Amino acid sequence: MKVLSKAKLEAALNKLSDRNEVFVPMQKGQQSGYFTWKSFENGQDELMLDALNVYQSPKNAVLPQTEKMYSIKSQGVEVNIDQTYEDAHPTIIFGARGCDVKGIIAMDDVFLTRGYEDSFYKARRSGNTIIANACYEPGANCFCNAMEVNSLEPVGADVILRDAGDGYVWEVKSDKGEAVTALIADLLEEKEAKLPEVKPFIQKVDYSGVAEKLKSMFDHPLWDKLSQPCINCGMCTYVCPSCYCFDIQVKMWGEEGYRFRAWDSCMFEEYSREAGGGNPRGASKERFRQRFLHKLEFFKERYGTPLCTGCGRCIIVCPTDINIVRIIDAVKEAEINA
Amino acid sequence: MPDQDHKCTCSEQPLVPTIVEVIDIIDRTPDVKSFFVRNVDGNGVPFQVAPGQCGMVSHLPIGEAMISCTWQEEQEYLEFAIKRVGLLTDELHQIEVGQKIGVRGPYGNGFPVDACKGRDMVFIAGGIGLAPLRSFIKYCFKNRADYGKITILYGSRSKADLCFKEELFELWPQETNTEVFVTIDNAQADWDGHVGFVPSYMEEVNPSSQGAIAVVCGPPIMIKFVLQSLEKMGYNDDQVITTLEMRMKCGIGKCGRCNIGSEFICLDGPVYYLKQLRDLPPEW
Repeated sequence: MKVLSKAKLEAALNKLSDRNEVFVPMQKGQQSGYFTWKSFENGQDELMLDALNVYQSPKNAVLPQTEKMYSIKSQGVEVNIDQTYEDAHPTIIFGARGCDVKGIIAMDDVFLTRGYEDSFYKARRSGNTIIANACYEPGANCFCNAMEVNSLEPVGADVILRDAGDGYVWEVKSDKGEAVTALIADLLEEKEAKLPEVKPFIQKVDYSGVAEKLKSMFDHPLWDKLSQPCINCGMCTYVCPSCYCFDIQVKMWGEEGYRFRAWDSCMFEEYSREAGGGNPRGASKERFRQRFLHKLEFFKERYGTPLCTGCGRCIIVCPTDINIVRIIDAVKEAEINA
Repeated sequence: MPDQDHKCTCSEQPLVPTIVEVIDIIDRTPDVKSFFVRNVDGNGVPFQVAPGQCGMVSHLPIGEAMISCTWQEEQEYLEFAIKRVGLLTDELHQIEVGQKIGVRGPYGNGFPVDACKGRDMVFIAGGIGLAPLRSFIKYCFKNRADYGKITILYGSRSKADLCFKEELFELWPQETNTEVFVTIDNAQADWDGHVGFVPSYMEEVNPSSQGAIAVVCGPPIMIKFVLQSLEKMGYNDDQVITTLEMRMKCGIGKCGRCNIGSEFICLDGPVYYLKQLRDLPPEW
């Protein structure tokens, strides 16, 4: 098997970065997330390939937090769009865990299927290669196995890394994977490596039948109780590897400007507020319910898979201790017709 | 319902508007104006719109909003009737003929004009809700032989707030086998027509449910009571059609906010049979 020795990891990242923007999990000051290898500062930043989940997911690489869409020139009655900003520059997400890979695959369903291809997403994704990092020891908040993710064999990865102690087993999974492998072929060694033992999941979550059961629970009183602590801060949607909702806004300086999109959140009142003032989800509970139904029911109905990937980030960041695992449990236990 | 076979005729950059010219503007009411747009080279329209479909209308320096296309006149123009309700529409109401704006589309499923052929049609609208229905009404008149009796029932707050007055009072009543009923919410000195709300007036007029299709659009509260009245009058859930509105940003089922259950109203809707809506969470 092909192995990338850990001693050659930095050399590999350097080499990959010659032609690609390489997003790597790292601790950077107070933040952890996927940042570009070129921005890595020796002695200050810390590579986080061993961590299960850094604070921010790598979705930024394919759906930037803000993204320019097109230019606007407006002079009197004349208006022009001179330029659109589809960006297909080559990027690599290096070391993504299965849950985060699934987040991107779910976004592929949204942005690239059902009649319309989003040209901005399509461009970024066409230039993007995913090098996944298989998980052998789930963390305290991990439950991807319950959400149809195989963290040992992440579907959609172009290369899968397996941490074998002093090196990573390097498994090529696609043509894109072949192409990036060729860039560092001289750093890979052909040898045997012992893979780690697969450890059990600590979180026990049973999602089976939940999507189907939720279909008849829209008006169930459990939403009142479950949503009570929620302050609609939106942190869960911000750190979520699969939350993809976006807003489109404009920035003008006099006659020139551009339209851009930015991550949005179903937690915010403005998200669904109509110009006339009406809002189908004006109440906090309604927004809370929307988020969990989208994750656990609606997305599965539409695309055949849940939109929660079991990464556990929202459990960690929620300031009011709302826990999606407990919500799944509550749905499981709920009596219908209550 | 999610349509996996949706055949896309849109551009390869569905989120980027096409620039068009506003060739005419008509005041419909004190707060509704019709904007007529055509390609900037004076030749044709930016896209073909079926009755009930929408366009994302963009005043580029300000913003964009999903607006039902109230009529496409062949390759001459697209007409959008827009009520002044917010930031973008305030600005749109300031523009003058000759202004270039952006549009993208067509979006949504549109009315089932073929499935309704041979049926008596009952159109029930309130306020600006007549704008989307008008595309279907005009389509019926254009293809008059394809449809049975046409009943149009329309109401607004006051006489001044009635949209498309010329059509309501002069053109449509002259069409064959057509009746038009108009009401306003409160009596006023220069009005000798019916006074009262749409649902009760509809029960009074009582258009037969036999073989008929009712198409409803208006403020949510009106829709709610009209649906109750139609049920009383013997209309089944597969004889009632409505068109929904939700806040929209992308128009192509991506940005998230216009969902009701697993449906995206911009893409899978906005037109639904009541029968379909009964299967969705009650957020409409």
